[in-house]
Amino acid sequence: MIDAILFAQLADRVPGVFFGLPLLALASLVFAATRHEDPAAIGLATVHWAVWLGGILGLVLATVLLFGLIS
Amino acid sequence: MGRQDPSSPRYVAISPDDGSTIDLRNPALAALLSWLVPGLGQLYQGRTTKGSLFMASLLTALVVGLWLGGGRVVYASWRPGETRLAFLGQAGIGAVAVPAVLQSMRLSGPARQPYFASPWFAPPLRPGQFVSAAYAERVLSREPGLEANAFAERPPFKQCAIDQLSVWHERLGRGFDIGTLYTVLAGMLNLLVVYDAWAGPLREASDAKGKTLDRADTAKDAGSGTPPAAKT
Repeated sequence: MIDAILFAQLADRVPGVFFGLPLLALASLVFAATRHEDPAAIGLATVHWAVWLGGILGLVLATVLLFGLIS
Repeated sequence: MGRQDPSSPRYVAISPDDGSTIDLRNPALAALLSWLVPGLGQLYQGRTTKGSLFMASLLTALVVGLWLGGGRVVYASWRPGETRLAFLGQAGIGAVAVPAVLQSMRLSGPARQPYFASPWFAPPLRPGQFVSAAYAERVLSREPGLEANAFAERPPFKQCAIDQLSVWHERLGRGFDIGTLYTVLAGMLNLLVVYDAWAGPLREASDAKGKTLDRADTAKDAGSGTPPAAKT
């Protein structure tokens, strides 16, 4: 049930997340491209950074939603 | 900073992917070019793939941010109580930072209007501020919903009676904040691009890769017969 509520909260915030995803991709791309020269290496590193940044930001979002539910 | 090749007056960096040499040409000029237009410094250095990548991605973010914010999100203001902190991030891209500073200085100066009486990159007007009649007319024509009584006659100028920033927030809604976020992030990420143009790619913080690169650098220097250049 908590999962359903969390996902519903997330869905309400889809527009905000929608605007944030391009920024996540942009930051991942720039972080990766400033550490590599080879295009293939840049591509792999972009995915690596996107997973890390997305995971961290996702954890923060989930924590904020959880605290909002608790309070 | 990239290492100076002792055999010829040029700066080079080492690629972390294959250990090849990257000619930085004039690093300071490259950094300046990348600050002005993201990726332009890399194109100047012949690093066309990265330069195109940076230029396309960061300029797209900047343009989208400006579009979402109705062209109003980039401006410089350091008036007490109305300091535009977001400009500190937006200043990472010179193509918008320079016009914003110039427009702000011009509006605050004796002319009482931005260059070409254009509202682009000009800070919002505040109640009581004097502006030229031409700029007042331009603001009235560009801001839907504003009436003529938004400005009082104070010859040879006009005095603003509204808080233009509130008008922008009301008209643009969340788009103003999101546009600000996009432009701030584009500017701040461009600082990494500027560093890349000045010093080459950042080294990964990996013991294995670091040791490998050190061995490659030492081998190249030993093979060329020149002493290893001091690393900065």
